[in-house]
Amino acid sequence: MAAAKRKTNTEAYLRMYRQMVRIRSFEDNANQLYLSARMPGLTHMYSGEEAVAVGICEALTDDDKITSTHRGHGHCVAKGAEFRQMFCELLGKEEGYCRGKGGSMHIADQSHGNLGANAIVGGSMGIATGAALSARLRGTDEVTVCFFGDGATAQGLWYEVMNMAALWKLPVIYACENNGYSEYTRTDEIAAGSLMKRAEAFGIEAHQVDGQDVLAVNDLAAKLVARARKGEGPFFIELETYRYHGHHVGDINRNYYRSKEEETIWKENRDPIVNFGVWLAKEGIATEADLQEIRDTVKADAEAAVAYALDAAYPPAAEVDMHVYAPDTAA
Amino acid sequence: MPHEVIMPALGMAQETGQIVAWLKAAGDAVKAGEPLMEVETDKATMEVEAQFDGFLADIRAEAGANVPVGEVVALIADRPGGTGEGASSPPAAPAASAGGGAAPDDLPEGEAIIMPALGMAQDTGILVAWLKAPGEAVGRDEVLLEVETDKSTMEVPAGADGYIAALLAEAGEEVPVGATIAVISTSKPENPVQRSAATGGAPVAPSPMPETAKPVATGTPAAAAEKKVAPAAVPTQGGRILASPKARRLAAAEGLDLARLRDAGVPQPFHVADLDTLRALPSPGAAANPAQAAASLHLTAEAPATALAELVAWIAGEGNAPVDAAGLLAGFAAGALRPHAEGSLIVAVERHGQRRSYADPDRGGLGSAPQPQEKAAPALILRDLRGSGLTGLRLGAEEAPVLTLTGDDRICLTLECAAGQLSPAAALDLMTGVAARLNDPLRHLL
Amino acid sequence: MREITLSRAVNEAIAEEMRRDPTIFLMGEDVAEAGTPFKVLSGLVEEFGTERIIDTPISEPGFMGLAVGAAMTGSRPIVDLMFGDFLFLVMDQLCNQAAKIHYMSGGKLNVPLVLRTNLGATRRSAAQHSQSLHALVAHIPGLKVALPSSAYEAKGLMKTAIRDNNPVVIFEDKLMYNDKAPVPEEEYLIPFGQAAVLREGRDLTLVATSSMVQVARAAAEVLARDGISAEVIDPRTIVPLDEATILDSVRKTSRAIVIDEGHQSFGVSAEIAARISEKAFYHLDAPVLRFGAMDVPVPFSPALEDLTVPTPDRVAEAARRIVRGEMTDAA
Repeated sequence: MAAAKRKTNTEAYLRMYRQMVRIRSFEDNANQLYLSARMPGLTHMYSGEEAVAVGICEALTDDDKITSTHRGHGHCVAKGAEFRQMFCELLGKEEGYCRGKGGSMHIADQSHGNLGANAIVGGSMGIATGAALSARLRGTDEVTVCFFGDGATAQGLWYEVMNMAALWKLPVIYACENNGYSEYTRTDEIAAGSLMKRAEAFGIEAHQVDGQDVLAVNDLAAKLVARARKGEGPFFIELETYRYHGHHVGDINRNYYRSKEEETIWKENRDPIVNFGVWLAKEGIATEADLQEIRDTVKADAEAAVAYALDAAYPPAAEVDMHVYAPDTAA
Repeated sequence: MPHEVIMPALGMAQETGQIVAWLKAAGDAVKAGEPLMEVETDKATMEVEAQFDGFLADIRAEAGANVPVGEVVALIADRPGGTGEGASSPPAAPAASAGGGAAPDDLPEGEAIIMPALGMAQDTGILVAWLKAPGEAVGRDEVLLEVETDKSTMEVPAGADGYIAALLAEAGEEVPVGATIAVISTSKPENPVQRSAATGGAPVAPSPMPETAKPVATGTPAAAAEKKVAPAAVPTQGGRILASPKARRLAAAEGLDLARLRDAGVPQPFHVADLDTLRALPSPGAAANPAQAAASLHLTAEAPATALAELVAWIAGEGNAPVDAAGLLAGFAAGALRPHAEGSLIVAVERHGQRRSYADPDRGGLGSAPQPQEKAAPALILRDLRGSGLTGLRLGAEEAPVLTLTGDDRICLTLECAAGQLSPAAALDLMTGVAARLNDPLRHLL
Repeated sequence: MREITLSRAVNEAIAEEMRRDPTIFLMGEDVAEAGTPFKVLSGLVEEFGTERIIDTPISEPGFMGLAVGAAMTGSRPIVDLMFGDFLFLVMDQLCNQAAKIHYMSGGKLNVPLVLRTNLGATRRSAAQHSQSLHALVAHIPGLKVALPSSAYEAKGLMKTAIRDNNPVVIFEDKLMYNDKAPVPEEEYLIPFGQAAVLREGRDLTLVATSSMVQVARAAAEVLARDGISAEVIDPRTIVPLDEATILDSVRKTSRAIVIDEGHQSFGVSAEIAARISEKAFYHLDAPVLRFGAMDVPVPFSPALEDLTVPTPDRVAEAARRIVRGEMTDAA
């Protein structure tokens, strides 16, 4: 466990634990929904990467913005979204966050500052940087975190927006979730040199952190967010993490790019939830029974939300051409 | 409580998965994460892991089966030897697992009659009517049913001798080609069956067809069918007319027939401006009767214009009274027609929108005034449209034979008349006679 | 009424709106002190400062992305894209992101941005600086597309575009920046989706956009000398398109020619012609004709370039033929 300084705020620790459990539970249910053909489309599991989303989002307020990725359920939960509206969205139901029009890959929760998942790899890097520019122009101290994977570092857009963010000292944090695989390909086969040095080449302060250690992530994020608010941004963080599932649900025979042994090592030794639970117990912050109760409550919440979403109504046909254009304000 | 093992959705647009092999047998203990079966999708073969701990039970789809995504293929029971009893939810639609078509168990024995494939790319046929009732005797060549395909309605012979033991589709139903629609038994059935294809009929005969299924002869189109098809087979007379949508709309609103513009030789495509010409054309009159129009005569001939012009000039030059050119033409026509006339011959001449009638104009002699006859029906109408720009016309028959003159440097003659107004011989004599007189007018006058 | 250039009209529109609404800012390449290569924006940076008139690096996808993010978070950016040809560089940010975000979020997120760029050949700028690419963006639901044809339209449409809550792409004809037209001193806006009937006529309708409006007007002059009375309609925006005005005119005249500087194939002229054919078919007395740029890359040589664009003489000759009812290719 990281040498994170002991926080006195027990509530915050338990909230982080609970949020990670919520993400895992959400993904377990989403996975089952998909495999049993009750969920349409295409989806990507965040399981294994929970400490990244939770550690960072716990350092943000509702006014701070994030942009998310195709593997975005974790960011959405961590930023404060509710299970019901999320499952409704995944199932294309009217009560979903996007009225069923976005689905798994476009889920957005504006009320908590989540500007949305993005199905174009790297597609949200401009949006995040623009949100930071807007925050400055509007005279706020909002910070934007741009989540993306190691695969997205191969997109040219990132270098264009890092250049501008650095030139204009924008309050944006580029959070690269390096889970080691760019879709079905090992990252070292697609990335030359060092990701850290790419950011540093623009004069951007870069950090590397264990993405399975929620305290380490949260500690770093809290410091960088505070500095970004003061105009010391932008920053780059590379978070070393691991995705337990394949690239998408259905990518189950993945021996050709990743061994079962490797997966087992991560799951058994580096699980962010298990390890944080052990630390909480060791520090006397919560007993195993307390943690079990959290897990049980979250599981029941998730199952209830799934049942609710399965029964929820689809959007009416009249919605199909609604929201193509926002209402005009022009006189 | 047993857990369901479901055919998972593994591909992006996968609807079914084929079970390549079970990696566990019924009764085997399984752990969550252990490979349970191999599934082949459109993309690849994959190992599917068990999602629960327990014992494999109640395998419902064997290796080789194609199973819709979402369907239960087995259960994982809590205890060894556990079964599907008490499963939390009933298995999803079992239908697809069966594969081949099981024979309809409750049908009487006999020759299965299938919906025949009658068209080139026909998938279904609509049963128009049964011509035999259940229990009725039927001969192999007797018409059993009428079938409508995309092309036509056909009468289909029974194809077997015997009795109608079952009718498995109702009039109006659309039945896949190859589906059994009737059964003909050798002995008179006690309880002949009749039902609709939608509710219970018989399964589509799989390919290859079972021995009992016998396709009926791909029937020759019946008389009724021919009647239905025939009108479409007759090509539209004169082909398609090119006209602007607006011209068509206005013509339809006014009841104007664009074909008359075409027949009058107006160049296509027709536009709104051409409708003025159409409105100015003489009324089609008797041509409205298609029977008459179909049998009408249409002859054309040509003659030089110079001889007549020279004659008129010569007469005028001799100091005679002005020549009635219309009367002159009427005389030519009456002269040509005279051998076929009984009694008096009245010829009406239409020129510049006016009509004058002449009685026996061929008998007045050169320069003599004709006697106008306004009331009597003419034996011939002579329509002088020279200089109008028309080059040919086909207006259809009117109340009397019409001889139209068009052209300018040369005179074109067009004769149109209904059958019975003139015999073909009279029509030929009229045309050749007028043409000859125009060639050499003086000789015929003197 | 005073007459000002199209360039001045655009400048006035932006300045007036920026004075009215502090959330508006403008970004692009060389927009500040340089005032763009066409000098359209000269003077704005002096009034509004570099915080609101922002010079960007030459990173079209990057600053387009920034604008999307800023628009989603409370700002109203105007993006200056130096040449319409650079649209290809920003397509992902414009079409996958800006155009779809309102819809994908179920109406919760708005993207009020203006992309101002240009079109038009015969400036001897060759294949990559001469294209008229408005059909590309008009094809994408969620984007609005305005095509001003004079200084008057340029000002009124720009002000409406800035106030619209949707992404609007506004194309100026780069050959018309110095053309003067009467523009009132007092404020006015031109609503989107309202065509202008620039000349009334009896015998045929000329529907023309942007640069082609002057071609249509010149053709109408020529035709008037032949006794042919042409009605000239400028749709002003192609998304939304004022179908009613066009159809009413065609129902009256029974003939139509559509003139647009985009490539003729699969373009705006085809779309308008198709709508006329679908919705006024029984009023047509002649096939609807299209005039667009020739389907070739724009050549550099003046001798060749001038052949590629519709001219008043060619339009007038086609008009004479259909008015006379001569056989066209359609027969």
